[in-house]
Amino acid sequence: MSTRVHPELHRDIARFGGDDITKCMNCGNCTAVCSLAGDGAVFPRKTIRYMQLGLKDKLLASPEPWLCYYCGECSDTCPRDANPAETMMAMRRWLTAEYDHSGRGRRLYTSEKAVVTTILKAAFIPLALLLALHAVTGFQRIVTDRVELNTFAPVMWVWAVVLLHFAFLGYHLMMNALHMIQHIMKPEDPEAKVPWAAYLLELKSLAIHFITQKRWRECGEEHDGQWLTHLLLVSGYVIMLVLVVGMLGWFQTDNIYPVYHPQRWLGYYATLVLIYASAAMLIGRFRKRTQVHRFSRPTDWLFPSFILVGAITGILVHAFRYAGWPWPTYGMYLIHVMAMVAMLDSEVGIGKWAHMIYRPLAIYLMNVKKRTQNQAVPEAGALPTN
Amino acid sequence: MDKSQAQDPLREADNGATAHTLRIGVYVCHCGGNISDVVDVERVVQAASGLSNGVVTRHYPAMCSETGQNLIIDDISNEKLDRVVVAACSPSLHEHTFRAAVARAGKNAYLYEHVNIREQVSWCGKSDPDGATNKAIRLVGAGVAKARLLRPLAPISMDAKRHVTVVGGGVSGLRAARDLARIGLAVTLIERSASLGGHMAQWHLVYPTEDKARDLLRELVDEVIGDPNITVHTRAEVIEASGYVGNFLLRVEPEHITVETGAIVLATGFDLYQPQEGEFGYGQYPEVITLDQLERMLDPEGPTSGRLERNGRAVNNVCLIHCVGSRQIEGIHQPGPDGKLNEYCSRVCCTATLRAAGEIRRRFPRTNVFELYRDIRTYGRGHEEYYDEASRLGVLFCRYEADRPPVVSPAEPKKGPGLICAKHPPGRSGKLNLVPFSAEEPDDSALVVQVKDTLTFGEELEIPADLVVLVTGMVPREIDTLVDQLKLSRSADGFLQEVHPKLRPVELAVNGLFVAGTCQAPMDISESCAAGSAAAAKAAALLASGRIELDPFLAPVDLDVCRGEGKCVEACQYQKAVTLVEVERDGRKVRHAEVNSALCNGCGMCTAVCPTGAIQVEGWRLDQFDAMVDALVADYAETEVSHA
Repeated sequence: MSTRVHPELHRDIARFGGDDITKCMNCGNCTAVCSLAGDGAVFPRKTIRYMQLGLKDKLLASPEPWLCYYCGECSDTCPRDANPAETMMAMRRWLTAEYDHSGRGRRLYTSEKAVVTTILKAAFIPLALLLALHAVTGFQRIVTDRVELNTFAPVMWVWAVVLLHFAFLGYHLMMNALHMIQHIMKPEDPEAKVPWAAYLLELKSLAIHFITQKRWRECGEEHDGQWLTHLLLVSGYVIMLVLVVGMLGWFQTDNIYPVYHPQRWLGYYATLVLIYASAAMLIGRFRKRTQVHRFSRPTDWLFPSFILVGAITGILVHAFRYAGWPWPTYGMYLIHVMAMVAMLDSEVGIGKWAHMIYRPLAIYLMNVKKRTQNQAVPEAGALPTN
Repeated sequence: MDKSQAQDPLREADNGATAHTLRIGVYVCHCGGNISDVVDVERVVQAASGLSNGVVTRHYPAMCSETGQNLIIDDISNEKLDRVVVAACSPSLHEHTFRAAVARAGKNAYLYEHVNIREQVSWCGKSDPDGATNKAIRLVGAGVAKARLLRPLAPISMDAKRHVTVVGGGVSGLRAARDLARIGLAVTLIERSASLGGHMAQWHLVYPTEDKARDLLRELVDEVIGDPNITVHTRAEVIEASGYVGNFLLRVEPEHITVETGAIVLATGFDLYQPQEGEFGYGQYPEVITLDQLERMLDPEGPTSGRLERNGRAVNNVCLIHCVGSRQIEGIHQPGPDGKLNEYCSRVCCTATLRAAGEIRRRFPRTNVFELYRDIRTYGRGHEEYYDEASRLGVLFCRYEADRPPVVSPAEPKKGPGLICAKHPPGRSGKLNLVPFSAEEPDDSALVVQVKDTLTFGEELEIPADLVVLVTGMVPREIDTLVDQLKLSRSADGFLQEVHPKLRPVELAVNGLFVAGTCQAPMDISESCAAGSAAAAKAAALLASGRIELDPFLAPVDLDVCRGEGKCVEACQYQKAVTLVEVERDGRKVRHAEVNSALCNGCGMCTAVCPTGAIQVEGWRLDQFDAMVDALVADYAETEVSHA
């Protein structure tokens, strides 16, 4: 069966970055130097070739972009300066937008105006809700002689809104992941079926890769630092997520616990780790010394900036309460919540949440396919049965 | 005729020495291992020493080198050599070299004998070194035997017309004509069509300078037309040719003129390969054209005023298919009407195509350009840059294998608008900056080209095409009359064949005929001009002095023996080379044969039929042959290694 070419497609993908692909002459040096390519995954060359010709269905069915961790060696080696690593990044952005049928991803990646509007809209929600609460209660819930955050922002109400927000975001993310699975698992041969057992048996690898992203380490020792920074960030991020989404009633309290109390040290650990990792990322993007930081799009600055703002405002809320300053505490809390809602709203469509899911999912689906293929190969000497 | 040969040359040249007391130098060349790796040169020298009275016998790594030649020159003066024999490569390669060395040492150049022990011995005898060595010894023995009977000869000198005829008014012929005229020779330029310039006049821009072809041509044509030394005949053809080097006679139609000329430069050019009916849809679909037609379209002064359109519609997708009619393979490609395959590469089309593709991308950035190639061969200086540039400009390359050529077919009927809408990627708003790509995608191209692309891992691709351009190669032009009249030799591919591709690249086998440009092989404009200039230089060197020297290997008649029977006249293959004349001798009128030295080729047919032995070819006299045969069959048992 032949595949129709759509040479205009790369103009569309170029809006997501990596607009150097026309320079590529398909020599394959990028694939030769890539320590992750192989075992049936011929990237970046294959992905870039599909891009050049605009083989959209082939691209959508490619898990390869998610197997790349942007070590940048292919871009260093490219004889044409076609920046294959950045092209793979652009491909991930484009795929993210394509999986996202709501169109939010595409808008955020391709329009700076959309990013600003989304952030402002999202930040307005907690402000409006809080204003509404206090307007309804005649501004009686603002205690000014001492810090009473849970009176200013009742934790159960906040928690309920957080859970609603997460349900909304989670639904979106699951739908996007489902679209990804549909594209990748779409059989070339309509007769070929992937048995459910294969999906079940590979679930373990999904979990391992989800937590550790350990495949990144195969990029080479010199990139272990990046992997570790990323792992720290993930640990801090996940802890905060669990504390806020799962345990907000326990975490947002007006009690000041002793330092050894988990509410304190878990918060401290997560905050410090997030400050360190996000600052390292932002500094890297300023310096542009490594391939991964050479090209920064507005959306790339967004996540580390929000993390940094979130961590710092969180620490300040804590400090002001400790100091017993009611107004600064309430104000900083509001800023903190506005920033975090804006971050989540813009991130789910485009960034970190997405790839947190897509990367391990891609590996998982590759493994499922491999398992199916291995089973499909008849044993040597076996006769076909009728 | 000017023939001055001594009455008894042997006696005179050799100071009274007899054939058996002559001092003969024998030299065996290693040819840098080409010979010595197979032939035991020590043993050849040892045997030769016994055969030639042992005056000088040497072997040396490269006799043709300056030091090798100096060996001969020094031995001639120090050892008083009378004859020189060199056993080396083919005489066509270096016989002249060694004759010249002998002449430089003050001896007559024809007291030299060349023995071929490379092509005839070492190259064909690799599996049997002993046998090869024995053969070399016998050939050297024969050479020495013949050398004893060599006589000094004088080259023949005769008048030549300081006039050159150039056949063909393309860029190569124009270049040759102009160069010849500037050297001061009179030139007649004969062009079959109505105008000068050939194929180049039909081209738009030319690589690697991006010049307008017509501007370049106009300059050259103006020079040629304005040159008082050049006479131009257009709509004219040579229909009959006779004569010989220095004195050719050409009859030109339809003007009924006769041209007397000293040399002829053939610059008859090429034809573009004409695709067969249905080959890649050619002749079936009006959207399938050839590269020269594309060049015409791109030309602002061309039929579309430089607009890229077909059937009145803009061209959104162009698909260029390389190697059409070139590099054909038996069993895959259909032979042409003459039953032949064009197995060669036409060389210029890759760069010409890349140039045109780049121009399209630059001038019409919304037009997608696909190049389907077998191999990109950008061989010349500045050619690879066109590939780089095309690639940078977004030309898309697909590579096909010869046995899976692209297939051109009409596109399926246009789908309804609903289906096209459904193709929009979901979730895109209708805002102007978010135009779905399928709206830009011209899905209504007339043709579809299917190709199995090895660059996309053997994927079968389907390429929409508003215009399919067949990159056709060059084929030999039909010039049978000239081939017949001038006895031109053609190579297997049908192009004219030079004497030697490296050492005599613009000379044809017939003396006084030169070849320039694409009638010899596919070449581009730069190469055609270089070839035209080279042919001009060669022709000018031949005719510079107004006299021509020829080798004296022809058949003089011994008037004492000739009875005028005329058998030689019947046997002669060359028109009027030998005739019967009546002269007064000792008061009586006698008939005898007379040889025209310019027309005689020294083939020896006359010698074979002469009942009295009066006519013999100089340098190959019968007594010399006898001596060689005797030497070849002589008993050498003591020097040969026997092998069972």
